[in-house]
Amino acid sequence: MAATADETDETTDASEPDPEPRRRPGRIALTVSVFGELLITAGVLLGLFVVYSLWWTNVIADRKADRQAGKVREHWAQGQDSGPGALDTKDGIGFLHVPAMDNGEVLVEKGTGTDVLNDGVAGYYTDPVKATLPMTGKKGNFAVAAHRDGHGAKFHNIDQLEEGDPIVFETRDDWYVYKVYSILPETSKYNVKVLSSVPEESGKEKPGRYITLTTCTPVYTSRYRYVVWGELVRVQKVDSERTPPKELLD
Amino acid sequence: MYGWIWRHLPGNAWVKAVISLVLVLAVIYVLFQYVFPWAEPLLPFNDVTVDNQ
Repeated sequence: MAATADETDETTDASEPDPEPRRRPGRIALTVSVFGELLITAGVLLGLFVVYSLWWTNVIADRKADRQAGKVREHWAQGQDSGPGALDTKDGIGFLHVPAMDNGEVLVEKGTGTDVLNDGVAGYYTDPVKATLPMTGKKGNFAVAAHRDGHGAKFHNIDQLEEGDPIVFETRDDWYVYKVYSILPETSKYNVKVLSSVPEESGKEKPGRYITLTTCTPVYTSRYRYVVWGELVRVQKVDSERTPPKELLD
Repeated sequence: MYGWIWRHLPGNAWVKAVISLVLVLAVIYVLFQYVFPWAEPLLPFNDVTVDNQ
């Protein structure tokens, strides 16, 4: 009986035009509508966060990276005569060129903290394993990290790298040409052994001059790490026109 | 909630619409400038390094 009465009430409500437009809704209706609005707000917030992390951080990071890269190039141009061994690590030590990643040049700076990497650059490891910089001429592993998505997304296309692809590191005086020899598409984020001076997982047993690129995988998350190893093939002196090595001209 | 805000904005519908737009933009600015940069490191989307922690 009660249900029928309710139904009739509702039909009469709906069929009749509302006599007073400013009629206050009931408490339950108000609660439901506020709850609905909160849900919509939450959805919009999440959407905005996606826009922020996949687009806006790139805009900001690319701007900063461009500025810092310009500074490094300027220093190099000025410091042409300041003699060899002038290792300026403050602004950045050089540029990474990876044709297979199709992302131009990536400035490399010291450290892998978010304060460094969020500027749209790659960082070489100082912790937990100290990277061996190629300019030192010593045997070791030049391990770097960069973002896969957002903040410049410099290693976004790391999965496009195949064995045999060149990785070129440009410093003020030299081009260091590496060749990819091993790829680890998925590993734990605790696997710091990939950074060792002789990375055994890549199949190497003897010391050499290696490069290691790390980033997160799968894209848009940080569940695992993606690792690419390369080995130094040759070092080419930078000429007065900074002609890139032939690996970058193809 | 939003209905309440709309009813309490001054002016006619156009003025209200303009004020609402400004409010929305202000909220987006605060989110992009302060809230999201704070929240991002707390979320597991952008850790790219291997470490011991």
